[in-house]
Amino acid sequence: MSLSLPKPMRLPSLILLALVMTLVFGPMIMSADPISISVKDRMALPSWSHWLGQDEFGRDRLARVLYGGRVSLTVAFLASVIACVVGTLFGLIGAYFRGPFEFVTMRLSDVVLCFPPILLALLVVTLFGPGVTTLVAVLSVLYFPAFARIAFSEALRVAALDFVEAARALGAAPRRIVLRTVLPNILGPISVQFSLTAAASITIESGLSFLGLGVVPPAPSWGQMIRGARAFMNQDPTGILVPCAALTLTIWSINFFCDRLRDTLDPKHGESAGKDEIAKARADAAAAAAGPAQILDADVVAQVKDLRLALPRPEGPLALIDGVTLTLRQNECTALVGESGSGKSLTSLALMGLLPSAIRPAGGRILIHRKTGGTVDLATLGERETEDLRGNDVAMIFQEPMTSLNPIHRIGAQMIEAIRAHKAISAEEARARAVELLDLVGIPEAGRRIDSYPHELSGGMRQRVMIAMALSGEPKLMIADEPTTALDVTIQAEIVELLQRLRQEYAAGMSLLFISHNLGIVAEIADQIAVMYAGEVVEQGPAAEVLATPHHPYTRALLDSMPSAHEDLHSSRGDRLAAIAGTPARPEARPSGCAFRDRCPQARPCCAESRPELYPTGTRAARCFFAPGADQPQEREAGA
Amino acid sequence: MTALLEVSDLSKAYPVGRRGLFRRRTMQALAGVSLSIAPGEVLGLVGESGSGKSTIGKAVLRLIEPETGSIRFDGRDLRALSTEELRAARKDMQIIFQDPYASLDPRKTVRAALAEALDTHGLHTGQRRTPRLNELVQMVGLSPQALDRRPHEFSGGQRQRIGIARALAVEPRFIVADEAVSALDVSIQAQILNLLADLRARTGISILFISHDLSVVRFISDRVMVLYLGRVMELGPADRIHFAPRHPYTAALVSAEPSLAPRQARIRLTGEIPSPMNPPSGCVFRTRCPYALPECAQAVPALRPAGEGQLTACIRDDILS
Repeated sequence: MSLSLPKPMRLPSLILLALVMTLVFGPMIMSADPISISVKDRMALPSWSHWLGQDEFGRDRLARVLYGGRVSLTVAFLASVIACVVGTLFGLIGAYFRGPFEFVTMRLSDVVLCFPPILLALLVVTLFGPGVTTLVAVLSVLYFPAFARIAFSEALRVAALDFVEAARALGAAPRRIVLRTVLPNILGPISVQFSLTAAASITIESGLSFLGLGVVPPAPSWGQMIRGARAFMNQDPTGILVPCAALTLTIWSINFFCDRLRDTLDPKHGESAGKDEIAKARADAAAAAAGPAQILDADVVAQVKDLRLALPRPEGPLALIDGVTLTLRQNECTALVGESGSGKSLTSLALMGLLPSAIRPAGGRILIHRKTGGTVDLATLGERETEDLRGNDVAMIFQEPMTSLNPIHRIGAQMIEAIRAHKAISAEEARARAVELLDLVGIPEAGRRIDSYPHELSGGMRQRVMIAMALSGEPKLMIADEPTTALDVTIQAEIVELLQRLRQEYAAGMSLLFISHNLGIVAEIADQIAVMYAGEVVEQGPAAEVLATPHHPYTRALLDSMPSAHEDLHSSRGDRLAAIAGTPARPEARPSGCAFRDRCPQARPCCAESRPELYPTGTRAARCFFAPGADQPQEREAGA
Repeated sequence: MTALLEVSDLSKAYPVGRRGLFRRRTMQALAGVSLSIAPGEVLGLVGESGSGKSTIGKAVLRLIEPETGSIRFDGRDLRALSTEELRAARKDMQIIFQDPYASLDPRKTVRAALAEALDTHGLHTGQRRTPRLNELVQMVGLSPQALDRRPHEFSGGQRQRIGIARALAVEPRFIVADEAVSALDVSIQAQILNLLADLRARTGISILFISHDLSVVRFISDRVMVLYLGRVMELGPADRIHFAPRHPYTAALVSAEPSLAPRQARIRLTGEIPSPMNPPSGCVFRTRCPYALPECAQAVPALRPAGEGQLTACIRDDILS
């Protein structure tokens, strides 16, 4: 037991360890003999010499419980180890080599799984006679399929990963790949299965012993103790309570251990905020927002004002979004541009009220102009009102349309549900509306395609369906989060055209927030642009101007690093792309002062001293001391 | 210059779904693809999803078995090699993957991953091991401290560098870069492209560069091959393919490329990419081609010379010039 055990594992490990130690060392330090009979002390009550009393033959009950536990644990452990090793090997070999190996593994498991476990055990014990060896053999055969199947499916998943392919490409021998590369990566689920099996084996072992088919009397076992005490339940309830309690405690502690182990091994595990905390955070935000009433300009659909989002950590909150301000106007497409981790998606999720529960608002407000009139602050809305807002006023389309559509329902059913969630109309009317929308987004034969399942449509068609669904509530703001990234170039161009056409022809006045890392697409679709870096907007303004003459070094560097912006360069002529050195700043390692300074070719000492503001010039702004709007950059330079 | 890799008439079909009453349905991933790569050359492969570009990359390394076709590497027929001989031959041919998160074993340190590559071919053992490992990580722009860390401690771009170091560890003469920069941020993508260009210039390695991004392929490749539904549409010098395409599909791809410059009229493709299980007769592109003629359905057009050093699989000469 190393002290580096993760915290949630400490208590269950301690309990399990204590239990095993008691069963292993308990009998060594006590003098009582579990099988010596003393007829005159039958069912004696607990005394100093016999702490748990004596059983129906006058044997010491404590000794029998401890010795019995030893037997149970040994049987369970041995059976689990054998089942685990054999099953895992079968599963691994079946999954890696496929073909006949797969057939043998799977069919063998199927055969064993066909028999009800207790029946199979009964059959084998009847044939070979009871005893510890038979028990171990029966239990390992019973639990072999569980391991074989888990190892098989996990190995199949891991073997498809690129690093296994890389090992093959290196020319590594199959034995080495299976044992050194695949096996370590499937140990997590297998170890969980191991503890589950151990618990289950104890139950089955006790069951068989209870039936008289397990451990042979007079050797003690928990099942046998129950069997013996059952006849005298009324006179001596302790007799049955003691082994039952031992059984329950053992299985509970193993299961407790399993549960925590599974949580610990799950890479996605993390402490999610409890309901109370979320409610509290919302109340805090509401209190903060209860300032003077907010009035937006008539053409502003939504406004993000000085938004700050943070991830709470024991050592203090980690700022993820730091003072982002965006004004989204009617009839305008605003592009939010940045690399992964720049905070562009978080900002858009905040606009939808869909922030992951671990992330807390730390300041700022989000105002949305509702269709019904009036402006609301998102932080003051309850769960219900936010749901009503989504779809009706703000809609969103995502990068991967396959994961955003429910694969088991026809697209028509999903659309009708979405339409009727926002409008009280009949199913027929909703269906007619759905066909109309599908037609609008350019789905050929919409009346027929409406009854397709998502997997029957191509990626481009699915994205069109997502757009149709987003339009169904006639929102004033549509957020498109990398809507074309997963699509082929020719399809991507069509989707961009569709979005443009919809804005002009159909949803007049709709505001589009387009999130992308691809400046080429942004140049085609956006009116306004906001470039994000490390959770801050570093430059914003009209898209055409920003892309033609960037003021912030980051924007300039992004443009320079795109091969499509340098059609005159070619690697064979020794040309190099103007790459930005280093990697994007992570929130926990943000440089002081300007977040971009450690990658900026123009950085000066003053950039490390204080954070630049977003200096405005005309319709544009840039967060750089040397941008045109900054106060006397020359002086700063001279002073530096 | 003789070719390092010479592939001719490569075909691959994947079985799809259940066996029918009489025949199994198949998906034709590749149909009669031939290509050659000279020492030190970068050949770009472009195409949309389902074009078979990744299948080519894996088939030339024999990571998947093609049905027909010959693969000659440095004069040796790769398909005739025994399992043992193939394992030894893998030293000369390596692969870099797209997903920097899936391509490294999360449980191995960088040192262990690189050492595994060296051990497999018994290279740089004993005393010479440490200097070689240091040299490898430095070659891809990482510091030797990186050796004792595990993949999760690195960013996507750094992981891609580690993947490249693993491929380079065995001193291959040929690398397949399968969408190697597609999952990376723009700024990091440029770094990796520069790294690959430097490596080629310094070591004279040949690269089969697979990508869906035309401008990236144009920058890095000497010649470019355009694929559609498992067939070659056009092949030629990178700049010619990009600026003077002779096949309507290439022209459509180039014109659909998002670009900062004001775009010329986009060539609109009608309809969807046909299913590879049931490809159109004749020219596979004809169902979406704005210039298709009735003759296009008659026979599969052969690659023929067109323009400056280009080969095109289009029967029309009058449309693009």
